[in-house]
Amino acid sequence: MNIFKALVMREMLDGKSYYIRTPIILAGLTVAILILSTIFLGTVEIEGMEREKVKNIGEGIAMFQEKKPEELASAVTMFYWGSAILPWIAFPFVIFFSLLGTLYEERRDRSIMFWKSMPVADWQEVLAKLFVPVVIAPLIFMGVTVAAQLVIAIFMALIVLFQGGPALEMLPLGLMFVSWFTLLGHYMISALWTLPLLAWLLLVSSYASRMPFLWAALPPFILIAIEGIFFKTHGIANWILMHLGGWRKAMDDSRFDNIHGPRDVFDVVINGSLGELTSITASSPGMWVGLIIAGGLVYATIEMRKRAI
Amino acid sequence: MTEYVVEARGLTKSYGDFRAINNIDFNLPLGRIVGVIAPNGAGKTTMLNAILGLSSYEGKLTVLGRDPATERDALMKDVCFIADVATLPKWMKVVEVLDYVEAVHPKFNRAKAMDFLSRTKVPVDRKVRALSKGMIVQVHLAVVMSIDAKLLVLDEPTLGLDILFRKQFYQSLLEEYFDEDRTVIITTHQVEEVEHILTDVMFLRDGEIVLEANMDELTQQFIEVMVEKGKEAEAMALKPLRHGSSFGKSTCVYKNIDRETLAKLGETRRLGLADIFVATMTGDGQ
Repeated sequence: MNIFKALVMREMLDGKSYYIRTPIILAGLTVAILILSTIFLGTVEIEGMEREKVKNIGEGIAMFQEKKPEELASAVTMFYWGSAILPWIAFPFVIFFSLLGTLYEERRDRSIMFWKSMPVADWQEVLAKLFVPVVIAPLIFMGVTVAAQLVIAIFMALIVLFQGGPALEMLPLGLMFVSWFTLLGHYMISALWTLPLLAWLLLVSSYASRMPFLWAALPPFILIAIEGIFFKTHGIANWILMHLGGWRKAMDDSRFDNIHGPRDVFDVVINGSLGELTSITASSPGMWVGLIIAGGLVYATIEMRKRAI
Repeated sequence: MTEYVVEARGLTKSYGDFRAINNIDFNLPLGRIVGVIAPNGAGKTTMLNAILGLSSYEGKLTVLGRDPATERDALMKDVCFIADVATLPKWMKVVEVLDYVEAVHPKFNRAKAMDFLSRTKVPVDRKVRALSKGMIVQVHLAVVMSIDAKLLVLDEPTLGLDILFRKQFYQSLLEEYFDEDRTVIITTHQVEEVEHILTDVMFLRDGEIVLEANMDELTQQFIEVMVEKGKEAEAMALKPLRHGSSFGKSTCVYKNIDRETLAKLGETRRLGLADIFVATMTGDGQ
């Protein structure tokens, strides 16, 4: 376990700019933009506010609270998520390029000869290189998101406080807390579905002698084209799309007809669907087949790593 | 546990039809410094890679009682190697390299490594990328010499380094690292620099071992004579491996001929390892 910890630390160090700097910079950027724009715009009267007879955010929140008190906490929580979403837009790219680069770079810069001179098995190396982008990176991204949301929340509470509004309404901490864990749950379930595609990237990384990006993209593309031309079917493309998120279609979406406000979005889409997504995932043969394929690809990667010098 | 550090029987590595090493047998005991001397492309690196568990092979190979092809990770607790210059990860700081090795290697002595480094000008808080080539090698050597291994393999360890550093390196290898419980395998083209520390040598050519010998015995076998004038016919009668002339005198190289006999022909001297290598490789030394 100590060795695995050392490997994880090493991967973190290697991917510091991917895993740590990227989310901090992006979250910092959005927080800064939000704070500056609020300071310069939030206190002046703008057109819409005038019509509603509110002068600033404080009064706006007060009015919201008066009209739809049950919606406020959900609306505020979702607003914070929207404000700190930028790191998550970058996140798929981080996963993609770190998996594709990790076993390729160590061969390219010859450091593989140093790693192999240590009493560390190839399977440990490969699992660490899968574990860090797939499990540790999202935890860091989530940590940064939580920090950014708290900064935004405290800032908004202060603004509303100074403007004489209900400042505590800007700190729906319970709901925020629930949203962090729920969305992490959503991520983990999606990751299980995506795992065969992620393992494919790792395998490419272990054998491509150059241009891993092309090696990753071209074979599936060629297979899709061959299937389309000769069989007029789209099985491979559909399989890939299903694992990227298409699997959610299996969910009963009738409940989405009754969404009437932020609270419904929160209750139905974010919180409410987690249980169903989990049961769809656990009972889907497609997901389990995908996991078996992922296992095979990881095994192949380990065999490649054993032979690589 | 065997008494040999490395035991090879019928060791072969083929790439298609080409046999990079061809059915070789050898044993390396503990407490030796073995020089593997070979021309480029003779199979030296292939042989070392097999010993280090970096590649597959045919035949039987045991290193410290283990099969390197399947047990590389366990083997690396007792085997250390520097396979190539500049394989340290360039994005790590020197201290981070030490942190990592300390975390994964049970036989690494960090204090010892820091002691080695304190005698150099290596800045330990800098990234490997920012160090000179010589410093990178110094860091790597500090790491391997602080690991309590039974077998150390150095493939061209001092390539591209200046002569002062090379002298100093071999000296500390001999004085501070080597003892009767360890074996060191060194490959190098700078034969003159290592011959005084080697206990054994192995010459490879075209994937085969052409000579495997104890250094003392080997250098006693080869004698060069500056033949005195008038004794040329007598000298040729003893069938020298090589003969040539320098400063107007004939010189003849003999193998396995009694020194007393040769002394009658003229001034004798022992042949250096480089000359023995050349004599062997050109086919005359067999």
